[in-house]
Amino acid sequence: MTEQKLVVSRTRMRFNQLISGAREFASVYMRSKPGLLGLAILFFFIFTAVFAPFISPYNPYTRVDRPLRPPSNKYILGTNDIGQDIFSELIYGTRVSLTIGFLAALCTVVIGTLVGVVSGFLGGSVDEVLMRFTDVIMILPNIPLLILLMAIFGRQSYFIMILAISITGWTGTARMVRSSTLSIKERAYVEASKAIGAGEGHIILKHILPNVSPLIMATMIYQVAGAMMSEAGLSFLGLGDPSTKSWGMVLHYAQTSGGWYANQGYPAWWWIVPPGLLIALTVASLVLIGQTMEEIINPRLRRR
Amino acid sequence: MSYIIKRTGSRVITFIVVISLIFFLARSTGTDPFERYLSEDPRIPLAQIQRLRARFGLDKPLHMQYLDFIKNTLQGEFGYSLYYKRPVFDKVMECLPWTLFLLSISIILSTIISFVVGVYFAWKRGTKTDILGTNFCMFIRSTPHFWLGMILLLVFAYYYPIFPLFGARTPGIHYANTFEYIKDILYHATLPLATLLLRQVGMYILYMRNSTVEVLGEDYMVTAKAKGVPAWSLMFHHAARNAMLPMVTVTAMRFGFMVNGAILTETVFSYPGTGRLIYTAITNDDFFLLQGAFFIVSITVLAANLIADMICGWLDPRIKI
Repeated sequence: MTEQKLVVSRTRMRFNQLISGAREFASVYMRSKPGLLGLAILFFFIFTAVFAPFISPYNPYTRVDRPLRPPSNKYILGTNDIGQDIFSELIYGTRVSLTIGFLAALCTVVIGTLVGVVSGFLGGSVDEVLMRFTDVIMILPNIPLLILLMAIFGRQSYFIMILAISITGWTGTARMVRSSTLSIKERAYVEASKAIGAGEGHIILKHILPNVSPLIMATMIYQVAGAMMSEAGLSFLGLGDPSTKSWGMVLHYAQTSGGWYANQGYPAWWWIVPPGLLIALTVASLVLIGQTMEEIINPRLRRR
Repeated sequence: MSYIIKRTGSRVITFIVVISLIFFLARSTGTDPFERYLSEDPRIPLAQIQRLRARFGLDKPLHMQYLDFIKNTLQGEFGYSLYYKRPVFDKVMECLPWTLFLLSISIILSTIISFVVGVYFAWKRGTKTDILGTNFCMFIRSTPHFWLGMILLLVFAYYYPIFPLFGARTPGIHYANTFEYIKDILYHATLPLATLLLRQVGMYILYMRNSTVEVLGEDYMVTAKAKGVPAWSLMFHHAARNAMLPMVTVTAMRFGFMVNGAILTETVFSYPGTGRLIYTAITNDDFFLLQGAFFIVSITVLAANLIADMICGWLDPRIKI
C-alpha cells in the first residue's frame, strides 16, 4: 500500500519535473526573436493545413475557369493549365507537404536515435562498424538513392516516400545522438546507478534517453525541413502521388506540362513563384526554430 | 598510409553492403527483372522467356545470382538500359562529364566566394551589411534548387532573354575553333552554374562567417591585435586561415548534397548530365539505368570525398587518428 503510494508520488514528481523543465525551456525560448518568428510562421502554416477546406476559395481538384488566367480578384494566384485555382491548390498542398515532413522526420529520428544510442552505449567494435557505415551513407548522394528505393518499392505513393526518406536520412541524427550518449555515459550519476546494479536497459531508458531528448527534438525540427526539401525534390522529379497535391507536385506540373512557358510566350509566373516561396518560408522557419532550440540546449553556441 | 587504406576500405565495404541491400530489396518485391517488364506481354511465348532467363542467368539460385551481380558491378557492368538500348555504363559515362563540369566549377567558385564574403561578414558582424547578408543567405539556403533554377530561367531567359532556355550547346552548329566551342558551352552553362553557385554560396557564407566569428574570440587574435597587425591581415592571415579548416571538412562531407542539387538543376535546364539521365530513367521506368546511374554517381562521390579527406589530413594532421 505504502509502496504503491510512493510509486505514484514518484511518478508525479517526475511529471512535475518535466513540466517545470518545459516551462523553463519555453520562457528562455520566448526571449529569442528569431525563434518566435519561426514559430509564428510554422503555426500559420499548420493552421492553414488544418483548416484548408474552410480557407480555400475553390476545390483544388476541379476545373473552375479557363486555363492559365493571371491573378485577379477572383483568383488570387490565377489558374493552372487545366483551369484549377492555384491558391486553393497551395492551401491544400500545405497539408501534404507538412504531413510528409513531420512523419518522415519522426521515422528518421527514431532510426537515428536507435543507431546512435546503441552505438554510443555499447561502444567497441559495434560502435566502430556502425559509425563507419553511417559515415559512408552520409556521404552518398541521397536523392539518387531515394529515387532508386522508390523505384524498387513501387513509386508514387507517399507512404513509400516517407519510408525511403527515413531509410536514407537518419545518419546525422545517429552521429549526434551517439556523441551525446558517449558524454552522458561517463557522468557520475550513471556510474552511481551502475554501482547500485542498474541494468543496461534501465540506464538507457532512465538516464540516457531523457538527457538526449532535448537534442533529439532540435534535430527533429531540422529533419522536418530536410524531409520537406526531399519531398519537394522527389515530387518535382515526378515521384509524388499524382492524386494529391503538394507544393512540389504543383511545381512538377508547372515544369512538365510546359504550361508555364507555352502561355503565348508569356510565362505563368503566378504558377511558379508562390510554391517555391512557401517551401522556402517553411524551411526557413523550421531552421530558425531549430537554431533557437540548439542555442538553449547548448549555450556555447550563443554567439556575440 | 594506413589512414588512407582504412578510409578506402570502409568506403568499399559500405558500398558493397549498400549495393547488396539494393539487390535483395529489389528481389524481395517478388519479381525478377524479366517479370517486371515482360510478363504482361502475351505475345512473347513462354519458351522464349525461359531462354532469355537462362541467357541472363536468372534461372540460377538467388545466391549465385547475387555473386554474379556483385562480380559484374565491381567490373563496371551495370546492365542494359531498356530505354536507350545500350549498356548502362556507356550511357552514364557519356553524361557524367557534364555533371562533373558543373560540379567542379561551382565548388571551386563557391568556395572562393563564400570564403571572402564570409570573412567580410564576420568582420562586419552586427552591422546592417552582416544582418541583411546573413538573412539573405538564410533565405537562399531554404529554397529548393529546382525552384531557384526555374526563377533564374524565368527572369534571364524569358523576361530578359539573355541566356538560352535549355541544353548544353547550340544544336546543329559547326564551331569555327575551340574558342567558339568553349564560349558556347559556358554561355549555356551560365544559368545552371548560377543556380548551383547561389545555393552553395548561401550555405557556405554562413558556415564561414560563424566559424570566423568563433576564431575571433581566441587568445592569439588578441595577441595579434595587440602587436599591431593591420586589420586586413588580421582577418585574412590570422582569423580566416584557422576558420578555413571546418569549412574544408564541410565541403568534403557535402559532395553528395551537391550531386543532389546538380540532379535537380539539370532537370530544370534540360542539361545533358547524369541528373537529366536519372530523370529520363524515372519517366521511362528504366530500373537498370537508374541503378547504374546511382552506382556510378556514388562511386564518383566516394572517390571525390576520399581525395578531400586526404587534403584535410594534409592540412590538419590532427585529424589522422
